[in-house]
Amino acid sequence: MLLMAWVLMAGLMSCGGHGHLEKAVRGILVSGDTTRAAYDSLCALVTDNPGKYGDLLTPEGTLDHKKMYDFIEQIGSQLRPPVHWDTRPYGGVENLSLTVYFERSGSMVPYDSRGGGGQLKKAVNDLINHFPAGSKVDINIVNDGIYPYQHTVDEFLKDRDIYQSTAGVGNASYTDFQLIFNKILEAQRPGNVSVLVSDLIYSPQDTHGVSLDKIFNEENSLATRVFAKYKGKSVVVQQFMGDYNGKYYPYNGVPFEYSGKRPFYLVIIADTDVMDQLASDKRYSGVLDTRAVSNSYRFNQGTATVDCRVLPEWKDNAGRFRVKHGDGIVLTKCDGDRQTGKLCFTLAANLGSLLKDDALLTNAANYDVSSIDGYTLAIQPIDQSMVTANNKEYLQGMTHVLTLTGDLKSPRDEVRISLRNELPAWVRQSSSTSDTSTGGSFATTTLGLEQLLGGMFDAMKGGNSFFDVTIQLQR
Amino acid sequence: MKHLVYLGIGIVVTVVFFILSCSDGFNIYEQLFFNQGYNDKMFNLNMYPVIAAITIGLAWGGAAIYYYAINSVKFDRWYHWLAVLGVVAVLTPVVCYIYNDTVFADNGLMYITESIMFELQTVLFAALLFIVASFSMRWWSSNCRHTPIPQ
Repeated sequence: MLLMAWVLMAGLMSCGGHGHLEKAVRGILVSGDTTRAAYDSLCALVTDNPGKYGDLLTPEGTLDHKKMYDFIEQIGSQLRPPVHWDTRPYGGVENLSLTVYFERSGSMVPYDSRGGGGQLKKAVNDLINHFPAGSKVDINIVNDGIYPYQHTVDEFLKDRDIYQSTAGVGNASYTDFQLIFNKILEAQRPGNVSVLVSDLIYSPQDTHGVSLDKIFNEENSLATRVFAKYKGKSVVVQQFMGDYNGKYYPYNGVPFEYSGKRPFYLVIIADTDVMDQLASDKRYSGVLDTRAVSNSYRFNQGTATVDCRVLPEWKDNAGRFRVKHGDGIVLTKCDGDRQTGKLCFTLAANLGSLLKDDALLTNAANYDVSSIDGYTLAIQPIDQSMVTANNKEYLQGMTHVLTLTGDLKSPRDEVRISLRNELPAWVRQSSSTSDTSTGGSFATTTLGLEQLLGGMFDAMKGGNSFFDVTIQLQR
Repeated sequence: MKHLVYLGIGIVVTVVFFILSCSDGFNIYEQLFFNQGYNDKMFNLNMYPVIAAITIGLAWGGAAIYYYAINSVKFDRWYHWLAVLGVVAVLTPVVCYIYNDTVFADNGLMYITESIMFELQTVLFAALLFIVASFSMRWWSSNCRHTPIPQ
C-alpha cells in the first residue's frame, strides 16, 4: 500500500504524457527566454520523439505549429501570472506584401534634395527593409494618378535622387487624394500593406479663388467618404520630420524658397487583421514602431484586449491584497494601509500593441477611471532600471505600469480603466490654416492636416475606447 | 484489520496533503503564509510538490527509522518518540530551505526572509505527518508498537 502511495505521488509529480516537454516549455516561459532558438529546441524535442509527442505532429510526421502554439498557450495560462508566447510567426506563415505609393508633387521634391539629410528616402528604405527578405514589394509614383515605378526595388533603394529619376512622371502640380486613396483601397488584396508617402497637403486642381475653408471642408468630406466606403480597413498615420531644401508652393500664394525642417507622413493602409499582424508579429516589428517616427495614430482600432498583470511587489503599492488566479483581475483580502487606510496597487500592461505614442499613453487625463471609492490613476513607461530579478517575470513584455490609489471603504468595488478613443492632440498641434510664410510653426505643421485626418477619424472610428480593464476588489 | 485501516487512513491523509500542496486554487502552503511574489515563484518553478515530497519523506522516513531501525526497548518511551519527532521537525525546514534557496539562486531570485517564514510552516506539517506516519506503521514494530500512547 505504501508503494502504491509513492507511485501515485510520483505520478502526480510528473506532468502527464508530455512531462519532459511541459517542463521544457515551463522553463522557457519562466526564464523569459522566448526566442526563436528556444522554440527550435522545443520543436527538436518533439520531432526527435515522434512516439511520445505524436499528437503534436501532422499526419506527414512534421511538426504541427498550430498544435504546438496551443500546447504552449495551455502551459503559459497555468503560470502565475499567465504568460503568452506568440510562436505563430515561427511556423512558416506566409509573408505580407508591400505596395509603396510615393508622392511626386512639387512640394515633395525638396525633401530629397542632395544637401538634405535624406530622412524621407530613409524612412521609405527602412519600411521596405523591415519586410522580411522574399516579400513581394511594388513601388508606384503618385500625383494626379498612380504610375508604376519603372525600376527594380534594389535600384529604388540605391537611388540617391529619386525625384530626378522619376521626373516627368504624371502631373506634379497637384495631388488628388480622393483618386489616390480610392485606387489604393480598390487595388488592395488580402495580405497586402499599402503605404502612401506624402506631405498630406491637399492640393486639388483648379482652386483659383476658392476659399481655404471651402477646401478644408472638401478635404474633410472626401476623407470621410473614401474611407467609409471600404469597411474592415485599418490605417496608421506616421509623422516624420525631414530636411526640406527648395521651393514651397503655398495654397493660393506665391511660391517661396524654404530651407529647414518639415513634416512628412507615411499612411499605412491594410485590412484590420493584417494591421493587427503587423503590430504583433515580430518579423515586422520595425514597420510600426520605427524610432524615427515623431507621432503616429492608428485609425479604425476596435477596443483591444490588453495583457495586464498585477505587480505584487512594487514600490508604490500600499495596503495588502491577494491576486485570485483565473479569469479577469480579482484582488481578494484587500486591506488598506495601516496608516493612511488607502489601497494602492499596480498593474503592468502591454500597451505597445495599441500603437499609440507615449505622450498619449502616459497622460492620465486620456483615461476614464470609474469606481465606488474614487480610485485615481498614475501611469508611467517601464524602463530597464525598474526591472529586478524578483519582478522580471511580471514586467516581461510589458510597456507601462498603471498605479491605482483609492480609499478602501466599500466591501466590494470594481475599478474600470479605459483609454478614450480620440483624435490625438498632436494632430491639432501639427495642423495649420495658413502656409503662406515660413514664420511661426511652419516647420512643424501641415496645412489642413486636422481636416484630412479628422475626416478619416469620422469614417473609421472604432470603439469608444482603445482598451478597457476591469479590476474586482474584495475585502 | 484495524491496523491496516490506520495505515490506509495515514496514506490517504498523506496523499491528500500532497495533492493540496500542488493545487493552484486551494494550496495548503498558501494558507498559513502568503506573499504574492514569493508564492507565485514557488508555483511557477514547480517547487511545492518537491517541498511536500521532502516533508512527507522525512516524516514517514523518520517514523520508519524509529519503529523499524531503532526499534529498541531502550528507546520505547514517549519522549524517545518525541525526540525523533523533534529531529524531523527541525530537519525538514532546513532541507526545504536549502532546496528552496538553491532553486531561487539558480533563477537569480532573492527571497531570504520569505523563505525562512515559509519554511517555518513545514515544521508544523512535518510534525503532523510524523504523527500520522507513526500511527500508520507502529503496529508492526516488535519493540515500539506501544509508543507514544500504549494501545
